[in-house]
Amino acid sequence: MNVRSVAVDRVVDRFPAVRRIWTARAVGHRLLPLAIPLIVLIAWQCAASLRLLPVQILPPPLLVATTAIDLIRGGEIVDGLRVSLWRIGIGFAIGAGSGLVLGALLGLSRTVEAYCGLTFRLLAQIPSLGWLPILLLIFGLDETLKFVLIAKASFVPTVIATSESVKQIPAPFREVARVLQLPARSYLRRLVLPATIPGIFSGLRTALSHAWIALIVVEMLAATEGVGYTMVWGRTLFQIDIVIVGMVVIGLIGLAMDTGLARIEQRLQHWEARP
Amino acid sequence: MTEFTELAIRHVTKSYVVDETPLPVLQDVSLSVLPGEFVSIVGASGCGKSTLLRLIVGLDDVYRGEILLGGTQVSGPGADRGIVFQDHRLFPWLTLTENITLALDAFPLPAEEKAQRVRDAIALVGLSGFERARPAQLSGGMAQRAAIARALVRRPAILLLDEPLGALDSLNRTRLQDALLDIWEAQRTTVIMVTHDVEEAVYLSTRIVVMEPRPGRIRSVIPVELAARDRAAPDFVALKQRVLADLRH
Ligand SMILES: Nc1ncnc2c1ncn2[C@@H]1O[C@H](COP(=O)(O)OP(=O)(O)OP(=O)(O)O)[C@@H](O)[C@H]1O
Ligand SMILES: [Mg+2]
Repeated sequence: MNVRSVAVDRVVDRFPAVRRIWTARAVGHRLLPLAIPLIVLIAWQCAASLRLLPVQILPPPLLVATTAIDLIRGGEIVDGLRVSLWRIGIGFAIGAGSGLVLGALLGLSRTVEAYCGLTFRLLAQIPSLGWLPILLLIFGLDETLKFVLIAKASFVPTVIATSESVKQIPAPFREVARVLQLPARSYLRRLVLPATIPGIFSGLRTALSHAWIALIVVEMLAATEGVGYTMVWGRTLFQIDIVIVGMVVIGLIGLAMDTGLARIEQRLQHWEARP
Repeated sequence: MTEFTELAIRHVTKSYVVDETPLPVLQDVSLSVLPGEFVSIVGASGCGKSTLLRLIVGLDDVYRGEILLGGTQVSGPGADRGIVFQDHRLFPWLTLTENITLALDAFPLPAEEKAQRVRDAIALVGLSGFERARPAQLSGGMAQRAAIARALVRRPAILLLDEPLGALDSLNRTRLQDALLDIWEAQRTTVIMVTHDVEEAVYLSTRIVVMEPRPGRIRSVIPVELAARDRAAPDFVALKQRVLADLRH
């Protein structure tokens, strides 16, 4: 019964990660990702100290930090972020939500694919910003314009990732489902969903980054508030430090959202976490 | 258990179309299997054994001829037939219990009875204690047994096995052969098993079907009438030789 006891151990030992030891090496390993940002920061400081570029073009890190604190204190950052996050939240929810539905339908149904596949691929070829002129005419500078553009930007990658991952569900598993005569509900819950989670989530992460691009661009071109607008405002004042603060904020918030999505994916995919 | 029914395969001819030219895979295959039989199919690689099982289970209905179960034409998968594929095909995201319970999803049974059936099936293949394990945590042989349990829990009248023990080492293989015999006797299922192992076929079957390739046809059907299941007995060895001779033909 050797085999049995070994396998039982494997079943019971479910949380090896919890027992990870905090050796100096492990800590060092965790700090590694910070090396490149640190080098960039030092190089930036050096370049600024040596006055390689005029201050108006390359302000020193410290000035940017002070500006950041001022902007946070003055409320510009928080207000801008509130507006931007609202836009991206609504736009992404609409775009990714409807993208999931259409993607699943395209992947599951030949009929839907036959009707909509070509049209979708054609429209997907036009970059989100290519829609801006006509959307501007339709919606003006209204909030709807931002929602529509962000929704469109997140819609396309979500549809593609979802339909592709549904189509790539291994044929052997589909055959098992047929042999077991799985009803549609279980087919979706027990096969389609778990099998497509990795693909869908990488699509959602792409969608989110596309949504950010659309958001910032539309705020730079056609808005009176939001992080993108704050950056344009900084540029017109020739205050590049404000622009840089905007860039850092976008980067950090984007990273936080991406990490959030990755976490959710890990949760949903707990079955694969073990070796 | 579903009613015992006779399986009649009549003049089945099947081709796949590869590069727009038809590739004949099965030609005029006829075979009748009675309730309670254990029929083994042996034959060279590519002679259409898996294809035949796929037709019987209803995964493919593009062929000429008839496959009748209790007199009615087979169309699509049904509760009366179960199949174990060569690869176990357990869903990696489900535990052993969840995988096997899924096989009862289409059955209108009370939850308690389903749970009982699943426990019984797991016990039958000797996997009690692993209910919460996921396929990645099972050894190859255990996963194969789990796949057998998933087919058995539906209590099909006919159980189709496609090289179910092909990937196992010889020790596990002999052990599982005896487990299969126990199951066959306990459940009184009709079994049709594809195997590459002639000794296994002689050991387990009541009849052996020898197929020949290109296109796949039945060469001979050999009844197994042994005094005892003893691999060393002279009649066992002689029968094995006969099947081997037919295979080499
Ligand atoms: N989906 C398919 N499309 C085209 N040809 C196929 C397909 N499936 C099987 N074949 C061909 O049909 C023939 C029979 O295949 P099959 O899998 O039934 O053989 P087999 O007897 O089970 O072989 P093995 O013992 O190697 O498993 C092979 O020549 C194979 O190439
Ligand atoms: Mg085969």
